Amino acid sequence: MTLNKSPLRYIGRPALIFGAIIMIFPFFWMGSSSLKDEAEAFATPPTLIPKAATLENFRKLTEYLDIQQLMINSIVVSVTVTFLQLLTSSMAGYAFARMNFRGKNFLFLTYMVTMMIPMQVIIVPLFIEMKYLKLVDSLVGLGLPMIASAFGAFFMRQAMMSIPKEIEEAARIDGAGHFRIFFKIAIPLTIPALSALFILAFMSVWNAFLWPLVIIFSPEKMTLPLGLANLHGQYATDWPLVMAGTTVSVIPIAVIYLLLQKQITQSFLTAGLKG
Amino acid sequence: MGLTNKQGEYMNKKMVKVFATAVTGILVAGLGLLTTPASAAKTTINYFTFSAAPDHLDTLKAMVAAFEKKNPNIHVNIQTASYDDYFTKLKTQVAAGKAPDTFELNYENFVTYAKAGSLLNLNKVISADKTFKKSVYYGKAYDVFNSKGAQFGVPASYSTVVLIYNKDLFDAAGVSYPKNSWDWSDEEAAAKALKAKLPAGTYADFQPIQFWEFYKVLGQAGGTFLSADGKSATFAKQPGINALTWLTGKYNSGYMPTAAQMGTLDDGAMFKAGKLAMIHTGIWMFDGFKDAPFKWDIAVQPGGVTPGNHFFANSVVVSSKTKNAAAAWQWAKFMTSDNAAVKLRVDASWEVPAVSAKAPLASYLAKTPPANRQAVFEALKNPIVPPVIGQQNAMQDAVNAWLEKAKNGTVTPTEALKSAAAEVNAILAKE
Repeated sequence: MTLNKSPLRYIGRPALIFGAIIMIFPFFWMGSSSLKDEAEAFATPPTLIPKAATLENFRKLTEYLDIQQLMINSIVVSVTVTFLQLLTSSMAGYAFARMNFRGKNFLFLTYMVTMMIPMQVIIVPLFIEMKYLKLVDSLVGLGLPMIASAFGAFFMRQAMMSIPKEIEEAARIDGAGHFRIFFKIAIPLTIPALSALFILAFMSVWNAFLWPLVIIFSPEKMTLPLGLANLHGQYATDWPLVMAGTTVSVIPIAVIYLLLQKQITQSFLTAGLKG
Repeated sequence: MGLTNKQGEYMNKKMVKVFATAVTGILVAGLGLLTTPASAAKTTINYFTFSAAPDHLDTLKAMVAAFEKKNPNIHVNIQTASYDDYFTKLKTQVAAGKAPDTFELNYENFVTYAKAGSLLNLNKVISADKTFKKSVYYGKAYDVFNSKGAQFGVPASYSTVVLIYNKDLFDAAGVSYPKNSWDWSDEEAAAKALKAKLPAGTYADFQPIQFWEFYKVLGQAGGTFLSADGKSATFAKQPGINALTWLTGKYNSGYMPTAAQMGTLDDGAMFKAGKLAMIHTGIWMFDGFKDAPFKWDIAVQPGGVTPGNHFFANSVVVSSKTKNAAAAWQWAKFMTSDNAAVKLRVDASWEVPAVSAKAPLASYLAKTPPANRQAVFEALKNPIVPPVIGQQNAMQDAVNAWLEKAKNGTVTPTEALKSAAAEVNAILAKE
């Protein structure tokens, strides 16, 4: 409140605007490059606004890739996996935050430790597992390992811990069990956290590359990042074309972020207040 | 928490029910997505490739269609990945025992996979195939995929590096065009003459200084990279020193742009922008230079004491784990040497097919620019194959680090090569 009246605001606002420009610039550059031809994309000095803007790269993109199919696959996988991940994460988070059972702390610690193991290490065993489940080259095989997330469980545990005990006790007196407390109290009270987790999970599934690369073979089952990677040639890469593809792939994330913006901001604010 | 044990037990039971419901839900959702592959009576083989996407996928599909028409009992399933991601995927599949029946390997990686036992020795299927003659392939291209008498693959395509030059800049400077017969001194003389006439910011020549360029220049200087048994580095001897001295000399000559002078541009972009008169680069750049706003042509790269040119080849190999070796061989053979496949490849400018016959290549030679496409085949008269060891990346990194130091003048070429050779020998000792 004092900040509004202090002279700091004269420095603060330009600093924030400057920061915003730095954050936005790569996206602007991506969009701008996607409208250039190859010669202009590499011209020195570089042009900020394309001199001869063309949609040629987007036309070529649809020629090389079945963008519609890639988009559908990406959306189906991302939405399904994200919702299931929210369900498993909030359930695990609830269990860790609000229930007592033997080995809870050890189990939680084990969860945390799995976050430190990089995907590269487990990719071959995971692939073999999918081979035995007959899920290689299927969207189910692609999504299954991403449904449970240690980070999600941790994130939701922190959110659930912030629910006042009194609310839970009041519900219990009214005869509610864990099931009802979970759905009627814990979930509604952690909507901001769930929204933030939704974005994080959605983004990580949407952008997932290594696992989809390994598990998916058929072009008609590929997700967007796989399709986009196919735009790189052995010897040379048509960068404006790649930029056009990247622009297309960023749009859904941007839309989701804008839709959930309010909840996300709130989630970070409450997290900050609780501190 | 204020839960008694009894309450806890009750809750646990309830939670189990919730979990059961959730798991069933997930499974139902999963089954909905699951696509069951159609079972067909014919043999299906997989072909995994890095060179098709994105530009030549349609060409490959046309090849498959032609193949399936000729072999109605075999269905070929195409899988693609970009070169950068290809080996991540291939390694995982091989490790999991689910390697594709047939796949593409470039020469450098071929050696590693052959050594690891991942490839099928084709000698048996080849000798059983009475219609096959190895003379259908360009000699050297077929033989490099032979390891100790075992044929592990057939060559699909090859590439090389040539000297590409900007005719307009040569005309403006009044210097005569490069010839196939040039050697280093001719190139240097032309570069100096060009430099005197070209405007500031435009350079006469460019040749990269890195592993891939060095082993070829070494060959031109009459040297070898590894000993005949492949157990020690031989590139630090006099021919190696001559080769690196020639390269670093060019870099410091003023007619070749330095890294700082190139700024954000790479050599290809600089040539295309009309700021380089000569460039040593691959024939894969032809397509990219097609629309350049100036006239250009190519010549065989100038030789040192002997001519020598890159030889990059991609092959089709068969997995040692395949259950359909005969069908896999039919596809490998068709894709690399059948007239229909070769014609499709040439028409699409999808590298150069590794066949010996001249007729199918006619349309490749007829395409301009460059007018002197014949130079591509001239270059292959003196092929130099890349040195390949098990720990290829470690070797390349070691050599590149020292070449970079020599280029920047922090060490002399002799010192750089001596140090690089010591590192490569240490790597070889561990193999």
